[in-house]
Amino acid sequence: MRKPVWPPLARERVHFVGQPVAAVIAESAAAAADAAELVQIEYRDLAPVTTLADALREGAPQLHAEAPGNLAFDFESGDAAAAEAAFAKAAHVSRLTLRSQRLVGNPMEPRACAASHDAGTAIYTIYTPTQGVNGMRGALSALTNVPRERLRIVAQDVGGSFGIRSPAYPEHAVVMAAAKRLGRPVKWVGTRSEVFLGDNQGRALELTGELALDATGRILALRWDHVANLGAYATPFGAWVGTRNLTVTMGGVYRIPVLYGRARCVYTNTAPVSAYRGAGRPDIAFAIERLIEYAAAEHGLDPIEFRRRNFVPAEAMPYKTANGTVYDSGDFAAVMDDALARAGHAGFAARRAEAAARGKLRGIGVAAYLEAAGAGAAPKDQVRGRFGADGFLTVWTLTQSGGQGHETTFAEIVASGLGVPIERVRIRASDPEADLVGSGVGGSRSLAGCGSACRVLADRIVEQARPFAAEALEAAPEDLEYARGAFTIKGTGRAIGLFALAERLAGPTPHPLDALGEGTFGATFPNGCHVAEVEIDPDTGATRIVRYTAVDDIGTVVSPALARGQVHGGVVQGAGQVFGEQAIYAPDSGQLLTASFADYPMPRAGIIERFDVHPHPVPTGTNVLGAKGVGESGCSGSLPALANAVLDALRPLGIATLDLPFTPARLWEAIAAARGRALSRRAHAPQV
Amino acid sequence: MAKVAMTVNGKAVALELEDRTLLVDALRDALGLTGTHVGCDSTQCGCCTVHLDGRSVKSCSMLAPQADGRAILTIEGLAGIEGPGSGDALHPVQQAFTECHALQCGFCTPGMIMAAAGLLAENPAPTEEEIVHALEGNLCRCTGYVNIVSAVQRAAELMRG
Repeated sequence: MRKPVWPPLARERVHFVGQPVAAVIAESAAAAADAAELVQIEYRDLAPVTTLADALREGAPQLHAEAPGNLAFDFESGDAAAAEAAFAKAAHVSRLTLRSQRLVGNPMEPRACAASHDAGTAIYTIYTPTQGVNGMRGALSALTNVPRERLRIVAQDVGGSFGIRSPAYPEHAVVMAAAKRLGRPVKWVGTRSEVFLGDNQGRALELTGELALDATGRILALRWDHVANLGAYATPFGAWVGTRNLTVTMGGVYRIPVLYGRARCVYTNTAPVSAYRGAGRPDIAFAIERLIEYAAAEHGLDPIEFRRRNFVPAEAMPYKTANGTVYDSGDFAAVMDDALARAGHAGFAARRAEAAARGKLRGIGVAAYLEAAGAGAAPKDQVRGRFGADGFLTVWTLTQSGGQGHETTFAEIVASGLGVPIERVRIRASDPEADLVGSGVGGSRSLAGCGSACRVLADRIVEQARPFAAEALEAAPEDLEYARGAFTIKGTGRAIGLFALAERLAGPTPHPLDALGEGTFGATFPNGCHVAEVEIDPDTGATRIVRYTAVDDIGTVVSPALARGQVHGGVVQGAGQVFGEQAIYAPDSGQLLTASFADYPMPRAGIIERFDVHPHPVPTGTNVLGAKGVGESGCSGSLPALANAVLDALRPLGIATLDLPFTPARLWEAIAAARGRALSRRAHAPQV
Repeated sequence: MAKVAMTVNGKAVALELEDRTLLVDALRDALGLTGTHVGCDSTQCGCCTVHLDGRSVKSCSMLAPQADGRAILTIEGLAGIEGPGSGDALHPVQQAFTECHALQCGFCTPGMIMAAAGLLAENPAPTEEEIVHALEGNLCRCTGYVNIVSAVQRAAELMRG
């Protein structure tokens, strides 16, 4: 891979609007802003490239000498020759290009960091919201060449992450350097404008799919050609999004004998792209389900029956896809049937007719999605339980909640595993002194990974406590049984509670009952079927999401309320992408035109009028909880379900595809153009 | 420099501030009331919502000197103002947000709660449409708003008793 250096402050060339060029340190933010006004930089304009088409054009301006043609690399997965052969014998072929437009992650808390440097120990202490202290420590070490052991990272409450908080940023390095030079703590708090311009952005993918069918509507092969916009520099996750995450589940829920995907990753003069809620997995789920719906319409197949005919059957699990991914479990037909029943799919025709009578275009969209979650970069996941003098069990984790509610879910897992009240268990992330091994938040994996380690921890504590309990009760360890938070001598009423035992043993550090929970937990495949119903006003192009049904196989559900909240948030984030959000760079100047909430329409309250969420768990065997993960399933389902619903509403007008986002202006123009075509056809029809 | 005398959460405060100081910065930096958050710089997100003489306002879009002689209520002062006496009791809107799982990361929550409390002070029995309309100026990236709307309905129930 051709990967140019990304300096914390631009040297010689500025590669994107928003790239830091100078730093001003002052006693207050206002004074620094005043002083920044005095910085004068003379820029010589160079021709920018902002779009994929521009970047790949012959003779396009080159961003980096290391990357001729602006190409970071060309990637492939699957069997190109087998795909060629399958397409040659296909009875039907459908081809569709889809764009998952560039987005701004926009967690509500802007990025920030504060650093201090201890000249005596040469240790930096860095406060920053992140998705995991271990990952941040490694990323900052790589960025600054400061050894990991000299970086103490503290992350407490994190105001939303969505992927953008994984990597280290230029501001971290600048603040660290300033703190060392000045011998004082230095803080930077980003504004929303800096979030828009300087945070890593998301999506920015163009996906072209081709589906080969036999005469009976069975899928013979699926072939993809992707182009991923990395932005001006390669972030640690940018290429991962555009390659591995687009191809690992490129066949979705379908049994497809031949799969092939190609991906090219391209540099442009735009903010660097990184993981954003799903990091390529919602994008490929969107593309698959749009292509399935498009192909069904093109070849006159019932889209539901077409899906059913091609699903990987439950009895084929575990199922190895044509490019080597192993789906461990899933019952896609049952999940779809559940969703269709709950969504009142059978009664839709009447609702469409009723809407038509009011002059509205109503559409229904189905999406049977699947995504890959669970596997982390670290070799295993560890959590540490410590019994404190305060009578609590404190469990330290590496995965950092940014609103997912780990404090509740992990405490439930440990407390139920020990049979003690949840109030006695406290979850803490980001122990700055911890030497734990494990991954941070990302890929919907915290429950499967860290949550499983919490379950293991509970068992470890019980086994570690048993000999001490035996001593306290003056019994043999094997004569004890453990239940409801206490050891009891079998057949007697003599017992000692876990916390009473912990109190008895208090004194030495570490406490004798302190334990490590750990394990290596594999990938999971959250899947589901979402059904969206929309109503478009043809006079304004405005869309109402009148009904939304999400049925998700997220495996075993630990905290139903929290899981439902994740689905709500994920679905609405997808709705934001489908109906409004897009980061637009001016092609001639490279300026970001949508750089505030006034220009970038975030979803607002009430966007979905009737919203039903139902789990349909098929537990996985790849971790001890049976959980599959829920963080990103929402948008993996809602991108295709909502897009299919809009296209279903527009299909009677002869509109077969349309680029996201479906803003009122775009829909109004498409409807007006389609009606214009219809009118002109009528005008040219022979008079009788 | 401007002298600003105002009541914040029931207590009289007197501050000397640069004329250009925004109310939100005065609350956070001069008074240490960091429960009021700053989520944008264009008056769009509503994270900084507080009450000014009982009505919800965005504290990023007024200068601190404009609050001279006025009464400000922030999220820190909300608990205990409803119901008899207890300063520890959560405000019904806070209680409802807890019951309904109406927050995830929590960054928008102080502003959401102040906006919702402002709505319910003016309209004790809002329809779902009125709630959605009242929260139009408050952004949340985590919850999809579903449980926030439910919480405002629940708070209205709690306040009606």
